[in-house]
Amino acid sequence: MRFEVDVGGRVRQVVATPAGDGFAVTVDGKPFHVDAVRVDDYTLSLLVDRVHSREVVITPEAASPAGSPLTVRVGAAPLAVILNGRRRGTGREGPAARSGPQRVVAPMPGKVIRVAVAAGDSVRAGQPLVVVEAMKMENELRAGRDGTVADVPAREGMLVEAGTLLVVIQ
Amino acid sequence: MINQEAQLKKILIANRGEIAVRIIRACREMNLTPVAVYSECDRAALHVRYADEAHPIGPSPPRESYLRIDRLIDAARKSGADAVHPGYGFLAENEQFAAAVRDAGLVFIGPPAGAIEIMGSKTSARRAAQRAGVPVVPGTEAPVPAAATEPEIAAMAGAVGFPLLVKAVAGGGGKGMRTVVDPSELSNAVRAARSEAGTAFGDAAVYFERRLSAARHIEVQLLGDHHGTVVPFVERECTIQRRHQKVVEESPSLAVPPPLRRALMGDAAAVARAVGYTNAGTIEFLVDPDGHHYFLEMNTRLQVEHPVTEMVTGVDLVQWQIRLARGERLDLDPDRAGAPDGHAIECRIYAEDPDNNFLPSPGRVLQLRAPGGPGVRDDGGVAAGLEVPIFYDPMVSKLIAWAEDRPRAVARMRRALGEYLIAGIKTTIPFFLWLLDQPEFLAGRFHTTYLDEVLRSRNGRPFLEPAAGDEETAALAAVIHSLLMSDNGGTVAGEPLVRRWKAQARAEGVNP
Repeated sequence: MRFEVDVGGRVRQVVATPAGDGFAVTVDGKPFHVDAVRVDDYTLSLLVDRVHSREVVITPEAASPAGSPLTVRVGAAPLAVILNGRRRGTGREGPAARSGPQRVVAPMPGKVIRVAVAAGDSVRAGQPLVVVEAMKMENELRAGRDGTVADVPAREGMLVEAGTLLVVIQ
Repeated sequence: MINQEAQLKKILIANRGEIAVRIIRACREMNLTPVAVYSECDRAALHVRYADEAHPIGPSPPRESYLRIDRLIDAARKSGADAVHPGYGFLAENEQFAAAVRDAGLVFIGPPAGAIEIMGSKTSARRAAQRAGVPVVPGTEAPVPAAATEPEIAAMAGAVGFPLLVKAVAGGGGKGMRTVVDPSELSNAVRAARSEAGTAFGDAAVYFERRLSAARHIEVQLLGDHHGTVVPFVERECTIQRRHQKVVEESPSLAVPPPLRRALMGDAAAVARAVGYTNAGTIEFLVDPDGHHYFLEMNTRLQVEHPVTEMVTGVDLVQWQIRLARGERLDLDPDRAGAPDGHAIECRIYAEDPDNNFLPSPGRVLQLRAPGGPGVRDDGGVAAGLEVPIFYDPMVSKLIAWAEDRPRAVARMRRALGEYLIAGIKTTIPFFLWLLDQPEFLAGRFHTTYLDEVLRSRNGRPFLEPAAGDEETAALAAVIHSLLMSDNGGTVAGEPLVRRWKAQARAEGVNP
């Protein structure tokens, strides 16, 4: 079976076929023999090319507004992986969006402790908009560019999930 | 005053997370019954499961549960506990709580309320240190008045000099603190510090303190009994900080030669005696590049980083807290407390995404396997299946490595971090693996702003590059995982799954 796998932004072609006591796999044409044992819902113990032992833990991506479907841990660095190139989320937040409305979203779950703007306010780039508190730290969210506040769904005291829309700037 | 050798049987732990677990462990080893308390989101937390009894104290926000003195006292009464251990954070340094516990006829495992009160205000703590003949960092003698005008605030700051720190009078743990390099930043910094201090401590008062350049943060643990004995311990090195929050602690410090160690220990004991201190406490100092030391503050509680002291002295500080609270004499050999055996390092593993500006990463922990083996200690408060809640600090675990010397302790810590498996949330483990490879860290050449400076200069680059082949392995593992997971017929752990996959493929007419 053929897959497209995006690992940390680079798409790799993977072909996997059952072979004897394992899988014959190619990654971008490079062949591997993989003996795989599923330990639990998230953990695979692999023997790659019969000897190279790799413990791999695969979990759904932690809540993240531009989330990718899987987090794969091979070493200490967790890797973001998307199977078959399906991307969810568009990285809509952040100053990258130069044109169109800027949608300021909660970067993590938490509680809105201060809303510093109201609809109709004009704001300058860098101006504080909303303060979200999580784990005892206050995180100030600022305007990415100059503009006018079009909408403020955020309310003080509101509990928010990662990705919850807080302020829209036109 | 305490009864001579009060009998204690049951201890209520007015805290949660790893420190509650740590105290439960001490209780068990002393054959005392631990009683836990829990907020709504902590019903199935590790500290509840480790305890013999657990009492609900309200909704998840700390103000409605772990900061509710009335509910904690109620829980203590209901459980028949005869003593209360506050842990750190929450009410640990709240003199009203200490007094309420004692008024309820219970033993408070901590210092006298009077000492907490003096040290709870950083400005009165500084005066106490000065009276004990210990030098303090230059700063304002009194808090900035709440009604002070901007010009008045500017004048107070100007007298201290820039760069300066705006610090919460009631502060602790790096909260309510702002650095001001340029006078134009002053009013914003005062406003932000007051707001954070008000939220964190219920007291928005701030004062100014000169920021010493290239200073190290060195602190001295001490114990005091009810018979006038104070024993100071070998120093802890807590200079590695991010935004004024300690992230790595070690003992001993590479920057403390024996004469400085004697001076720090002597001054720490002098300050403690000056306020009639008992139980466990810590005096924090700044040490400048010339080796001069200045009193910074006293923490009137057990510290987060107490394990590094325990590892190099073999003294169980929590057990001693309980023994001192019940009136025992501190018959600890001062030479053992002051002379470290080997070297210990602690990394505070937080639920934060280091590659995304250390943004909090609360959520459900799906997998957790702590490292073990020689010289490794894991003081964790989380287990697989549990949520790391948004309401409390982001601590997942304190990982401590001990070895004969610092290079071996660093190597051991690196090994232990590599073993640590936490999945489902992001953690700061990749950051620590990076830090442990930095030449400045390895050489011990750092000061309190070193980490913030080097982090700024890295510009958000990922802390760890995947090792050679890891990305290929991740790609093929994700594919095999999806093949095996689509074959979700109750697989027995350890069964070679390819057999099931083949059967499935045949059944579906897929040509494997």
